[in-house]
Amino acid sequence: MSSDSAQSGDSARTDAHGRPGGDTEAETMVRVDGLKKYFRSSSGLFEGLSFDPSTFPPIHVDREPVKAVDDVSFDIRDGETLGLVGESGCGKSTLGRTILRLLTPTEGNIYYKGSDLAELSGSDLREMRSDIQMIFQDPQSSLDPRMRVGDIIEEPMWAHGMLDAEGREARAKMLLEKVGLDPHHYNRFPHAFSGGQRQRINLARALSVDPDFIVCDEPVSALDVSIQAQVLNTMEELQEEFGLTYLFIAHDLSVIRYISDRVAVMYLGNIVELATKEELFENPSHPYTRALLDSIPVPDPRDSDARGVLEGEVPSPTNPPSGCRFRTRCPKLIAPEAYDLTDREWTDVRAFMRAVDRRTIDAAPAAELREAFFEQGVPGGDAGAIVEEAIELVATDDSAASQRSASARAKWDEAASLLVGSFADQSICARERPAYEVEPEFGDGRHFSACHLHR
Amino acid sequence: MRDKPLLRVENLKTQFVTENGTVRAVDGISFEVYEGEIVGIVGESGAGKSVASMSLLRLVDNPGEIVAGEITYKGRTIFAAEETEDGDRRLQDGVLSAETVRQEIRGNEIAVIFQDPMESLNPVFTIGGQLREFIELNRDLTGDEARKEAIDMLREVGIPDAEARYDEYPHQFSGGMRQRVLIAMALACQPSLIIADEPTTALDVTVEGQILDLVDELQRKYGTSFIWVTHDMGVVAEICDRVNVMYLGEIVEQAPVDELFYETGHPYTKALLDSMPRPDRTVTDLDPIRGVMPEAIDPPPGCRFHPRCPDAREVCRQVHPEPAEIDRVDGFSHRSACFKRDVFDVGYDESPPLDNLARGESERGQEASEVASGGGASE
Ligand SMILES: Nc1ncnc2c1ncn2[C@@H]1O[C@H](COP(=O)(O)OP(=O)(O)O)[C@@H](O)[C@H]1O
Ligand code: SF4
Ligand code: SF4
Ligand SMILES: [Mg+2]
Repeated sequence: MSSDSAQSGDSARTDAHGRPGGDTEAETMVRVDGLKKYFRSSSGLFEGLSFDPSTFPPIHVDREPVKAVDDVSFDIRDGETLGLVGESGCGKSTLGRTILRLLTPTEGNIYYKGSDLAELSGSDLREMRSDIQMIFQDPQSSLDPRMRVGDIIEEPMWAHGMLDAEGREARAKMLLEKVGLDPHHYNRFPHAFSGGQRQRINLARALSVDPDFIVCDEPVSALDVSIQAQVLNTMEELQEEFGLTYLFIAHDLSVIRYISDRVAVMYLGNIVELATKEELFENPSHPYTRALLDSIPVPDPRDSDARGVLEGEVPSPTNPPSGCRFRTRCPKLIAPEAYDLTDREWTDVRAFMRAVDRRTIDAAPAAELREAFFEQGVPGGDAGAIVEEAIELVATDDSAASQRSASARAKWDEAASLLVGSFADQSICARERPAYEVEPEFGDGRHFSACHLHR
Repeated sequence: MRDKPLLRVENLKTQFVTENGTVRAVDGISFEVYEGEIVGIVGESGAGKSVASMSLLRLVDNPGEIVAGEITYKGRTIFAAEETEDGDRRLQDGVLSAETVRQEIRGNEIAVIFQDPMESLNPVFTIGGQLREFIELNRDLTGDEARKEAIDMLREVGIPDAEARYDEYPHQFSGGMRQRVLIAMALACQPSLIIADEPTTALDVTVEGQILDLVDELQRKYGTSFIWVTHDMGVVAEICDRVNVMYLGEIVEQAPVDELFYETGHPYTKALLDSMPRPDRTVTDLDPIRGVMPEAIDPPPGCRFHPRCPDAREVCRQVHPEPAEIDRVDGFSHRSACFKRDVFDVGYDESPPLDNLARGESERGQEASEVASGGGASE
């Protein structure tokens, strides 16, 4: 820990939404500030067609937009690999594409080497476009099967008017060699290559215009482990040799742990935690990060840690939970202050509330419900009264009517909204958006955590 | 000695005849599944895991064919044939007919779960309707009884609000929920064995965790045996009792799970473990396996792993190792198909080392060129 740290304790609240890891020592390559990307869904019944409201004025859309990326701020430093991890659909790819301006931001700014990307035009824009490149997950579909490898690699140089034909060919061959392919393959078609080799061709193509920054979107996810390791090693070598900065997007935490210097964890359009790799994996401070880490099957049959299991599913990004987005599944959801519940009481109430809300339980007589959820008895006071009212609503004691009847369902709904409204919605987790700095235990990089437990 | 196995597979061979030649997708594998255990089949894509598991119920379609081997299940012969001199196969007497396998074994005795649930669910019918129909077809339940059973099964596999979701369509279910439905279907007829081919590969890690827990719980409750196909050593460590490692159509190592990780017998298994990034510790250098797995149409002579094996010697190129027992743990054998072990008497120790990819004598560029020409396109 550096002694001149600006923080006074381990719970200093960051300003605004925090600029996790925005240290000034290392030079900033990319600065993302308050970035939002919303998609308007059109009225297709099965398919939501998304388009960009700022380039294509929406005609008339009543629907709520899909908030794929919702107010995200962070820095990517010169020469580092920033890992971006999260479950599918949490906004990782949208964030990557918006940073590249393949998608226009709904709000917020992206600065590349200090200049606002939105304000670039003409030759500056062209230069920036060649400076930042992207490689995608599926090496199959991102290579045009009718083009020869050489042409695939030279295409971006050609588009940017780089070198003459001879120079381009020489560079393409040099890059083939650098990415671990045979320069003699210059005239081959993509189908002659395996998945790992196709990803290498993609790397060569991205490198052709001499970029400084590459967004890698699940670049090894489709590859077998042994091939994955080869490609990861090549990517590291290239980073060293060409001084590259990577934003490395993956859902696989093992890959992220291997390749990254710092790691950002994304959940439902927000970054919930950001820290140096060792700190994030050894001292995870956000309940979502912990849940992710706990759910990975560890390749060691003697690993005795019971794997944790995260309940429920990711909510819709159209109408995300208020405050902390993870709160509907969080095992640590903080008790609302109004009721003065003990930890044990709150654990019971929370479990009961969620079971009713998710309908993971069957209707049963009141006594059975009490026994199942409140072994130590229903808490007293206002909280207890609310719980009893909910039990009354869902209990089957005096209704012979089928639980499938409309009135039974209506009562169940009423109980669910009573419980959620009285407890979950009153928690600080629902009322304020969390953003805190945590004291790091490993190294002295900054550690950002969007969780009120650190308040 | 153990009890009799539930399922015994001996020298199973499945091939595909294509215009480029015969693909020996599964080339003489043997393994057993005992009651109540989860047996893993692990390997890279193209190793033959799926073809092997489909072969067990004779579900291989044209141009694929099981050409040899024997599959016995609870004393009944699902398949038994021999290769004749001229390369044809001859079915043995007493083999169940394809019809009988479909009607009496599949579903009732051995159920299958695939990676993509949408392959097994019809998008135009409700989840509940499909499950109910399946139950009606396979068990002595009809109408309301079958419906009730279907709802109970949905609840059993952890689908919240099962009554309401019974009437929803597959597209209204998330990937994880669909996989739960398939598990419900597999369990519906209380089979003794479930074959699951990468059922969690397409799922997020949190959802995968939920499914693995569910399987664990159900397995304990019903004592069902599983054959679990995966490429993920984490999943293997987590749920399998015993493991078969496949490489290019063969089982190269077979061991109880702890042995596989801690007394690894085969260089391929070791290489797989060494090339894997870890979630539980920071690895600074990965040691990848050189090259890629060759095509099953033209496997290398001798030991199929020899072009990539760091321990390969001349003898490995000439002689083909069959799996042999190198240890016995709790009555189960640990088999490995590698000459490094003493049980093989082929003169490995005296044989000169091979210059191959894995020795790093070739540059990466050449490695890649060898690999690219593996499929036939030669330079
Ligand atoms: N329908 C088919 N026609 C020709 N070859 C096939 C067919 N299906 C599978 N194969 C081949 O069989 C081998 C084993 O494939 P598979 O069992 O799918 O491997 P895995 O499940 O381990 O990924 C591969 O070489 C594959 O290309
Ligand atoms: S803010 Fe509350 S709900 Fe969110 S992660 Fe922290 S404890 Fe859980
Ligand atoms: S037999 Fe030879 S080539 Fe094959 S795995 Fe053993 S040492 Fe390697
Ligand atoms: Mg497969």
